[in-house]
Amino acid sequence: MALLEGRNLRKTYKLSRRNEVQALRGVDVSIEAGELVAIMGPSGSGKSTLMHLLGLLHRPDLNHGPAPELSLGGRDATRMSDGERTRIRAREMGFVFQQFNLVPTLTAIENVMLAGEYAGLGRREARERATARLTMVGLAERATHRPSELSGGEQQRVAIARALVNDPALVLADEPTGNLDSHRSAELLGLIRKLNREHGQTFVLVTHDPEVGAACDRIIRMRDGLVQAMELVGEPTPGDVGEAAA
Amino acid sequence: MSLLRNLARRRLRTALTVTGITIGIWALVVFGSMANKISSIVAIGSDYYAGKIVVTDKSGGLSGDSPMAIAMVDDIAAIDGVAAAVPGVSTLLDPESNGGISMPDMVVGDLPGEDHGYNMYDARVAQGRALTAEDADSLVAVLGSDLARKLGKGIGDRLEIRGMTFDVVGILEPTLTAPDTTAIVPLAAAQDVFYQDLPPIVRQNVQANQLATDITVYPKEGTDVESLAARIEADIPNASAMTGTEFDGVVGSSVAIFNAIIVGVALISLIVGGLSVINTMAMTVAERTREIGIKRAIGGSRARVIRELVSEAGLIGLFGGLLGLGLGAVVVYLANEAGRSSGTILFQLTPQTAIFAVLFSTILGVVAGIIPAWNAARLDPVAALRYE
Repeated sequence: MALLEGRNLRKTYKLSRRNEVQALRGVDVSIEAGELVAIMGPSGSGKSTLMHLLGLLHRPDLNHGPAPELSLGGRDATRMSDGERTRIRAREMGFVFQQFNLVPTLTAIENVMLAGEYAGLGRREARERATARLTMVGLAERATHRPSELSGGEQQRVAIARALVNDPALVLADEPTGNLDSHRSAELLGLIRKLNREHGQTFVLVTHDPEVGAACDRIIRMRDGLVQAMELVGEPTPGDVGEAAA
Repeated sequence: MSLLRNLARRRLRTALTVTGITIGIWALVVFGSMANKISSIVAIGSDYYAGKIVVTDKSGGLSGDSPMAIAMVDDIAAIDGVAAAVPGVSTLLDPESNGGISMPDMVVGDLPGEDHGYNMYDARVAQGRALTAEDADSLVAVLGSDLARKLGKGIGDRLEIRGMTFDVVGILEPTLTAPDTTAIVPLAAAQDVFYQDLPPIVRQNVQANQLATDITVYPKEGTDVESLAARIEADIPNASAMTGTEFDGVVGSSVAIFNAIIVGVALISLIVGGLSVINTMAMTVAERTREIGIKRAIGGSRARVIRELVSEAGLIGLFGGLLGLGLGAVVVYLANEAGRSSGTILFQLTPQTAIFAVLFSTILGVVAGIIPAWNAARLDPVAALRYE
């Protein structure tokens, strides 16, 4: 069963009264549980917006055009209240944003713990898990540093540790390797593949980087707010992707 | 704990906000204390006049000390509805002093045991003893707390009043009003003090023991005080009868205006302080829009994000309030100490004022934090994340 199933997803941003940007013009997309998917495309193609819709950070537009559908594990996400969507983000999803987006007043470990606490973990458990995730990304020694005291790559890894702290079923990452050198980048991809294979976690990675795409099961190519193509990479994964590519 | 940590990590912003609130609350405390002092003087005056009539000579002012013949006491006592009429003498301790803007030092003649169980002053003795009927003919004095401190006199010391020497036998507890700057002596002694300073032409015609400056009239139970006062004024030539209602009318209204001005100033300082809180909170929240976006994106609920911001705002308000109260208390204390020697006690910081100041500040902080926090938490998380 598809973990995420979207139909007719549209999103228009109003920049000013007369200036609107149609970031998504009607996208059908399906992500299988346990898949490792890359969303690729040029800047402005709508790939980040698609990730935000799939991550329940945005609601799809309801007006002009066929009614959008978005289901998450069988639940209709278009009808969820803000509270429900927030709860699902906290408990079932992990996010890595383009600009790392750590809370500047919190240390690395506090940033990671915060996501755990939002998901309902007690302080002690959140701390234990945060320590484990920071160790996993190789930052155990930097746990008590604040973001301003960390390099870009280190901040990126803290954000990844934060995304993983609740063992979410779905991890959404916007340019996760954007600030990493090729060595670190390869390391991170290895970690993602490992988590994907061993824990069955679903990853959706928004990226420019062909190497990231190559490490995924499938690539969704976006252009001008539409899905241009879907490509299977290497060995096929279970799930019918051919139909969606048409 | 994490609240304090957040504030500590935004040290400059927190310090500036707290300072803004501190100034507002400081002004509130200082001006509020001044208003307290004024209204407590009025309240004690009202208490003093409540249920009785003070008869003075028409030519004298409110606290005037024009001489009256003590014989008037019998005339007044004969009027229907009068339970008792007690003569008293009150005069300036130092006739040269003009009293300044505060209460002047006074000598008051008390006739122990002669007030028929009605107490002129309800002041308690802190050290030594009160005057008794046995003191009637001796030169003894009970001093108000401020007067004793100002003159540097204690129990057993001798006090010179206009050439007469009194033994200090008691010191009153502070009352924060008139008795604090008063020397209470037996009536006969007060009459002598008063007599000495009368113009010679007056002195030739009266005896010291025939003098009074005021007569306190206690009405019989069930008597209408106002109509009794009117009867006294009608029957006794040159008598001016002041009742509690009149006192409140005359003094109360002028004090009420002064009070209104002071409360107005305090309110302005509150508004200024309040606006600075609101402004700073709004700025702080705007600066943190991205952070709010992060928290919302990774699953922080609106309620939780609002709660965090609002409790920070409340804590800032509490700090500002406590600091403002502390600084205000220091200023009030220093100003009162500086003024004590001249008898100018201008401020009275009551527990109510202190509690109000801190509560106000805390609640204001919370209220000022709610609106910007609410707005920030309502933003679409992605929009908040993109906020520059």
